[in-house]
Amino acid sequence: MFAKNWFYSITLISIMGLAPASRAGDAGQKPRSDDAASRPVVTTTVGYSVPDVQLVRDDGKQVSLPAEMNDGRAVVLNFIFTTCSSFCPLSSQTFREFQQELGPDRERVHLMSISIDPEQDTPARLRDYAHKFAAGPGWQHYTGTLAASLAAQRAFGAYRGDKMSHTPLTLMRAAGAKTWRRIDGFATPSELLSECRQLLAVQ
Amino acid sequence: MLLVALFAAQASAQEVADPVGEAIYRRGILPSGQPITAKREPDLQISGGDAACSNCHRRSGLGELEGHIRIPPVTGAALFRPRVHDGNVGAPPNSDAAYSRRDAYSKEALARAIREGVAVDGSQLNYLMPHYSLADADMASLIGYLKGLTRFKSPGVNAGVLHLATIVTPDADPVKRRAMLDVLDHYFADTNAAALAGGLHSRSPQGAMSMPNYRWQLHIWELTGPASAWDQQLRTHLEHEPVLAVISGVGGKTWAPIHRFCEQAGLPCLFPNVDLPVVAEHDFYSLYFSRGVLLEADLIAHAITGDKRLPAAHRVVQIYRRDDIGQQAANALRGGVAGVDLVDRPLRTGNGKQQLAAALRDIGSRDVVVLWLRPQDLALLAALPSVHSRVFISGLMGGLDQSPVPAASRGVAVMVYAFDLPDHRVIQTDYPLGWFRINHIPVIDQRVQTDTWLACVLLSETLSHMSDSFVRDYLVERLEGMLDHQMLTGYYPRLSLAPNQRFASKGGYLVKFAEPSGSRLVAESEWIVP
Repeated sequence: MFAKNWFYSITLISIMGLAPASRAGDAGQKPRSDDAASRPVVTTTVGYSVPDVQLVRDDGKQVSLPAEMNDGRAVVLNFIFTTCSSFCPLSSQTFREFQQELGPDRERVHLMSISIDPEQDTPARLRDYAHKFAAGPGWQHYTGTLAASLAAQRAFGAYRGDKMSHTPLTLMRAAGAKTWRRIDGFATPSELLSECRQLLAVQ
Repeated sequence: MLLVALFAAQASAQEVADPVGEAIYRRGILPSGQPITAKREPDLQISGGDAACSNCHRRSGLGELEGHIRIPPVTGAALFRPRVHDGNVGAPPNSDAAYSRRDAYSKEALARAIREGVAVDGSQLNYLMPHYSLADADMASLIGYLKGLTRFKSPGVNAGVLHLATIVTPDADPVKRRAMLDVLDHYFADTNAAALAGGLHSRSPQGAMSMPNYRWQLHIWELTGPASAWDQQLRTHLEHEPVLAVISGVGGKTWAPIHRFCEQAGLPCLFPNVDLPVVAEHDFYSLYFSRGVLLEADLIAHAITGDKRLPAAHRVVQIYRRDDIGQQAANALRGGVAGVDLVDRPLRTGNGKQQLAAALRDIGSRDVVVLWLRPQDLALLAALPSVHSRVFISGLMGGLDQSPVPAASRGVAVMVYAFDLPDHRVIQTDYPLGWFRINHIPVIDQRVQTDTWLACVLLSETLSHMSDSFVRDYLVERLEGMLDHQMLTGYYPRLSLAPNQRFASKGGYLVKFAEPSGSRLVAESEWIVP
């Protein structure tokens, strides 16, 4: 059911350094460390084409998704909805810690969180949510029409049929790069930091 | 007094086993008033409401499936049940037949799971489970609360019968009342006919889908007198006729006493026909299809402040009747257009035509008129001089497609339409309309009848996902979870709920009548979510 315009080109499979994944995005793999049974994380490298859709940023401005992703910074992306009470808060808390730990590199990284419940998540609700998670200036939240949100979810292999079926996912890409690092599962802030630093090094 | 005491005793026995444990579980608050604290490795701290157990395990304690992460049940029955090897894999988590792959927790093992994230078998719990810092006394309160959590079936469930109520207020429109009751009667009869045949679910050849087979029993709670007297009447009804939930219902000027009662009694109130619901999204038990006229007010505010094609409005003139829901809608619009010159011109009882003429006397081409009026008042416009300004009409109050907007006003009148467009919803409404036809149900208020039918369909589908875990809180939680999947959505383009989301449809259109007469509408806007 994934959209046609995204293609798997798994050039590297590193389940935090171990066994190969049978399918990208399948987060049920073997552990790397003693905590990995409780926190399976699968990292892959995948090519995606960013769909040309209009989203509404948390400041109320209509923006183009490709333009937001091509402003000279690396992109770190996730999908959330503000009334999620289980793991979106964890993903957002992880983003906050990650953004803080970036230090001076913060300016070089654009954090983007796209709502998968755009009709509920108005720009005002997204602002409240961003405030709750102390989002710094380089972290924006996005809503828009349902169709636009779906297009973005499908393009990044994040669509799971409905918002309640979502799975934890972070994607990141160096500025201007074609390929993305896709991290399925609950990555910690320091894991995001280490992935991101590698991207910044080649940028 | 006796009834009140009885009611209170019943409620406390079932719901408030341990208030300290409940405060920790539901709100993340310690007896000292301090927030609970917890962390996830390596160093993500959470506290208070963000760390409340109910966020994931839910109010019922029966857990949730989030993507592919199974958030397990934490009810007493689930935690302290011994290992069962030959149980029914498909059985609900709190049923006696359930399958348990691990040993029962002891209090000590459970405390370790809560503090260190280690399961009874020594394995690590999912990363999503935080590690809590709880003093021994607080831990004991929490475990005591879990022991009693969702221990009983809800009232209104017994011996093959599910008791359900519907509520009618004395000021409800008699046509809408009849329209709703007719649909409920037939839907319940249909459900019970299928139950007599053993139920559809019993036809699975494997038998793995063996579902309990319940009849539905409808109790009609007709309220009388002023709204201030309803709470007592509802208590008496619930005392004499315990029910699992309230299904549909029909209200008039206020639904607030019923909303409050259901919240206090812990009684799900599912999709009543009310145009002025209570907006309290952190309440749990009342679910609505939409915010009704309050959504309309936001749609009009969006159009007035956001539409660049409109002339800069000189002022906005709102006309409504003091004793109708238009007054609250007008207040909501006032709150949504800060900085706009806005004038209210309420009509009193009595000569509507004269008053309407007076209210419209000085309307100029740069004014915007908002009519929160019923069809009988809108029909009076035909005998008045034409208004040459932008006019917004409440679709819900004005009669939607059947609204008697006079030909001369159809060029300027825009109706707020918080439903899918008639052309778009043809396939959706074909199904209920066909069902009305084969059941010989006269269509006297298509929208109310379709909404009532849809409420029954949603209830029926949700119950079929609950096996025999007929628990009030779980019913609401399952409805939240399954609504996004719903293919039958009646008048609405889609329905969606979540924790702290109580209105399933969030937007609407602006429409105009296509011709000087007739009921054909054309869209003036895209679907707007204000």
